[in-house]
This record gives sequence, structure tokens and C-alpha cells, in this order.
Amino acid sequence: MTFEGKYYNGQSSKGMPAHIALLPDGLRIDYCADEACGSVHWELAGIHQSEFNDATTLLRFGKFPQQSISVVDKGFKEALQQQYRGAAFLKSGYNSVLNLGFSGIALMALGLLGLLVAFVIWGVPALADRVAMHFPQSYERTLGEQLYTKMLQGYQVNEEKTAALNDYLHALDTDLDYPITAAVVSSEEVNAFAIPGGYVVVYEGILDKMEHHEELAALMGHELAHIQNRHSLRAMARSLSYYMLASVLFGDVSGVAAVLVDNASALRNLEYSRSLELEADREGLELLRRNELNQQGIVLLMERLHMGSEYEMLAFVSTHPNTGDRIKVLNELIGERNQPYKKNPELQRHWEKLTR
Amino acid sequence: MHGLCYFFQSFLTYFQAFMTTTLLEKEKQTTHFSFTGRGSEYFAIEIVNLLLTVFTLGLYYPWAKAKSMQYLYRKTELAGTPFVFHGTGKEMFIGFIKGVGAFILLYAVLMYGVISEDLSTLLITYAVFILGFLALIPVALHGMMRYRTSRTSWRGIHLGYRGELSDMYSTYLIGFFLTILTFGIYGSWFVVKLRKQMIDNVRFGNASLRYVGDGGDLFLIHLKGYFLSIFTLGIYLFWYTKNLLHFYVNNIVVLQEDGSYSRLQCDVSGWDVLKLTVGNILIVVFTLGLGIPLTTTRTMSLIMNNTVMRGDFDADALVQTEEAYDSATYESMTDMMDIGVI
Repeated sequence: MTFEGKYYNGQSSKGMPAHIALLPDGLRIDYCADEACGSVHWELAGIHQSEFNDATTLLRFGKFPQQSISVVDKGFKEALQQQYRGAAFLKSGYNSVLNLGFSGIALMALGLLGLLVAFVIWGVPALADRVAMHFPQSYERTLGEQLYTKMLQGYQVNEEKTAALNDYLHALDTDLDYPITAAVVSSEEVNAFAIPGGYVVVYEGILDKMEHHEELAALMGHELAHIQNRHSLRAMARSLSYYMLASVLFGDVSGVAAVLVDNASALRNLEYSRSLELEADREGLELLRRNELNQQGIVLLMERLHMGSEYEMLAFVSTHPNTGDRIKVLNELIGERNQPYKKNPELQRHWEKLTR
Repeated sequence: MHGLCYFFQSFLTYFQAFMTTTLLEKEKQTTHFSFTGRGSEYFAIEIVNLLLTVFTLGLYYPWAKAKSMQYLYRKTELAGTPFVFHGTGKEMFIGFIKGVGAFILLYAVLMYGVISEDLSTLLITYAVFILGFLALIPVALHGMMRYRTSRTSWRGIHLGYRGELSDMYSTYLIGFFLTILTFGIYGSWFVVKLRKQMIDNVRFGNASLRYVGDGGDLFLIHLKGYFLSIFTLGIYLFWYTKNLLHFYVNNIVVLQEDGSYSRLQCDVSGWDVLKLTVGNILIVVFTLGLGIPLTTTRTMSLIMNNTVMRGDFDADALVQTEEAYDSATYESMTDMMDIGVI
């Protein structure tokens, strides 16, 4: 079987009319130009990979300067496929993809889109979470200390109550990896928050609302769970990772620094996800159980916060899930494992100092 | 050196005018460029590239880049014969590592200055950073020209780049500082000088290229483009782009050994640029960026299918003049340093 094409010898750009024969061990090319005729034999192993051919098939052979042939005949491509099935120069993963046709390509594109979406929805947070969990504790503590100091600057610290709160925390069995430093600040706001590394800030407003120390224990259990499980660090890592993704996509690197600063100053406004809050609630309850305190303390805390005036509650509730739901979940948990409780005179004593 | 340049330039302009008249007497011969690539094909290739790049955490990128170049070259034809890109992923990987390595080194120096919290150290490292950056650009341009031309062939005839790195440096540094001293006005002349340095040193077998654009013309294009774009609330931008395209392409001349010459001519209109740009933006927006390969083939189609070579181009008369590009001369540090932006 022979085909007609052009032969280029690698020395001149002149295309010489040629007859190309497909032999078992290679191609034989007989060319003729200006009465100078010749013949070359191409061994299969020397033919370079040939991809992306259309109506024209282009084959190249040998070392620099490469010889080449160009054949405008669809039959040539098919004949090559038949004669040299599996030969190295015809192998191309890309060509096989191109042969998938429209629906195959569309499917791949959709798959890729799905992969991208999945990466953004699950991959990025999961990665950020891992990073946050592996963040060294000493760095976390240094970072937390700076934030804590910075935040207290805007408030009047009630030294007496702060001492009482720290005594109260010492008397509690908390099972924590972090040493805890707490402060009570003078503010009518009904709020409390945890800072990474073992720092807690409680507003007087929330203490004034409480009637039993078990409520305080529950609140502390909740905040300490945020610290122990690195909730704010994880939330920060997550939002930072999204900003990093955005800055990679849009080529803005300076945005990363801005986000770091923003996150630090707006830490207390971080939107914990509902699951993180519920996890903290659960662990707050667990703290009451471990200390053999009345488990109703956490329900009372929730109800107390729920009944308070809308305005005052806003600060604590806005970043938290629906209180009704939380109470329901907690009551179910208490119902699952009810246990007898004792009075704890030591905690009671510290609590009285706090509410004086 | 400038005087020589000027002399050469005016000689060329004269030469050109002379040739044009002789050409008009004969029948002007037109050799067509064309782009036969299809959006769907290129899209599929880029999807595979993207998937492999993602799964290899970016390591596949140079191979992906080589593959898409091979496709785009294979689908770009001159006188009915496609170009061939001989670059491989491995070469591009090495080039990429060299380029990225240099940048990382510079950033490391800068970071050291920032961390030291010492003002004089910071200033010194900042100076090193800026100077290093400046020093890197000519090397990158030179490396890119050498790499890209040596890996390109047409009908088996390789392109080549004969420019010296030292000339690139002097052109670049003189132009850069003159541009700063003239508050940017010299920029147009600088761009033209740089293009001359790059294009005039390109060999296409025994033919060579010349860039005959004039800095003054470019300056006028910018001046006109700037003010008209403002007056027309940006609509003129498409015609401005068209003018720039014409200036860059239509001033390229191909000289063959027997003295015959031909000139590139791009007939894209402002209206074409408008349609292309608006279409491309819509494609990118509505495919969330996945359709970018389609915009590449659209752009290639518009430019290549509207570009011809007019004059006495003898497609059969090119003779191989390049050395084998895998010889030792191509092993130096600056070669193959391809940042891979273009």
C-alpha cells in the first residue's frame, strides 16, 4: 500500500513529492525533485510521537535535523493505525481523549468542575483544620496572650472578681491541655468569650444574670471546650485558607496580611459554626457531670440567656445557634444519662465572691 | 552604537521603500498563515492538563505547558504547512525550576531583610531584590528567545536566536533608565529597541527577521489611544489594541538570502477585536473560567487567519542553518530559563 505525500529532508524547506510505502519494519519513502530522486527507510523506533493530526498527517524521523513527511489523506492515518497498532509513535493519551468525542469531553469537564467544587467545599476546610490542629501549642499560647492583652485594654478589669473566677476554675476538674487564665471585665453586656491558648474573658453582665454557680460551671465548660478543641484557631485557619485561595486565584497576595490582622481584631465576632457551638455545649455538660454538679445548670444558663431582653442578649446569641434548639438537645443528653449530683461548698464559696 | 542603529534603521526604511516599489511592479505574492485548531480539541487537552496538574500537585505543569504548545504550534500553518514545537516537559521543567529558583532566592533575600528588623539591612536587601529583579529580566528574555526559537521548526527548518546576552543587557538597562529619566516617554522607543534586539536576531533557516517599527509611531499610537479611549469612554480601546497589534506584527520583515523580502501583514480590524474581547469575556464568565482554552483558540484563529506574508517569500528556499539544539552550547545556565509566562 503506498500513499502520496511530501518529504522534507531536514536540510531544505522544499517539499519533495514522495511515495510512501508501509512496510512491516518501517516506512519506505521514495522521493523525486528536480530530477534528483532518492529513497529513505524509516525504522519504526526512530519515528517521533505523532499527535494532534487532522486531515494532514505529519511524521518526523531521526535525530536533528529531523526528516519529515506530510500526507494529506485520511486513509494514511487509518492505514498507519492498522499496520502499526501499538507502535510507540502512534501512542498518545491525549489523542485517545480527543477521540472520546463531545459527550466524553463534556463529562470530563463536569467531573473537573465537581472536583473543584468539592475541593473548595470540603478539601480546603479539611486542610485548614489539619493545619490548625498541628499548630504548636506554644505558638498558640503566645498568640493568645497577645490577643488577650490587646482585648483587655478596651475594658476595665474587675480584679476582685477575676481572682474569684480563677479560684473557681482551679477548684473545677477541667481536664484541659492548657493552663487557664480568666478575667472578669466591667460591662453590662451579656457575653463571654474564649481566646486560643487558654484565655477566657467574662463580662459582669452575664454573671449578674446567673443565680446558681452551676450555670457558671456550664458557661466555663462551654468556653473551655472552644479552647481545648481550638475552635477559634480552626475558624481562623478556615477563613484564612479561603482568602488565600481567593488571592491565589485573583493574584492578590497582600490580601493575606490584611486578613490576618482583621481576624485578630475581630476574633470575638467570629462566627462559630453551629456544630462547633453544639460541641462546646456538650462538653459544658460533660464538665458538670465530671464535677458531679447539677446538670440542669446548663439548661438554666440557656434559659436565663433566652429570657433576657433581646438587646442585651444580642452579643452572645448572634454568633450562636437558636437557644430553643440548644436546650432541646441538652435536655435529651441529660435524659440519656442522668446522674445524682452533690453540693460543692468550695465552688459555692468562690461563686459567692463573684456575685457579691 | 546608537548612531549605527539609526543608520541601519534608515537604511532599512530606504531599502523597504525601494523594495515596495519593485514589488508593486511585479505581482505581490501572498503567503497565508492559518490556525486550524478547534476550541473543543484544545479544551479537551487543557482539561486533561488541568486534571493531571491538580493530581500531581502542580508537578505536571511543565509537561502540560509543553503539550498545549505542541498542539497550538501543530495547528498554526504557514503556506499550508504546520509549525512543530520540539520542546519537552522535561526541558520546560528544568527551565521552570531555574526561573522559579531565581525568584525564590530573591524573595528569600528580601525576607531576610524584613525579618532582621534592622533598617540598613532592610534597605540593602531591598536594593539587592530590586536590582536582582532588574538583572533577571534580560536573562529571562534572552533565555526565552533562545529556547522558543530553537525548539520551533517548519518544514524541518529550525528557527534560531543569535542575540548576545550582553547586547540584551545594554539595550535593556539603557532603555530602562532612559524611560525613568524621561518619566516614561522614552518607553515607546524602549519597547521598539527591545523588539528589535529580540526579532532582528531571529534566524529562520537561512532567512532572517527584521523589526522595522519606529518608536515615534508607537508613541503616537499610545498618545492617540490614551486620549481617544478616555473621550469615547473606553470604546476606542479595541481600536487601540488593533493598532498595537498592527504595529507589532506588520513591522516584521522576513529577509531571504537572495535579497528578496516579505512583510507580515495583519488585517484584524478594531471591530474584530471588539467582538473577540466581548466574546472571550462572556465565555470566561459563563464557564467560571473553564472556557479559557476556547478564548485562546478564538484569539489564535482571529490573528492567524487574518495574517499573511506579502512579498517574495519563497517557501521552498529555506535551508537548515541551526546547530542541533541538544548540543553542549545549549547547556549554560541562562538557556532554557523560561519563566513560562508567554
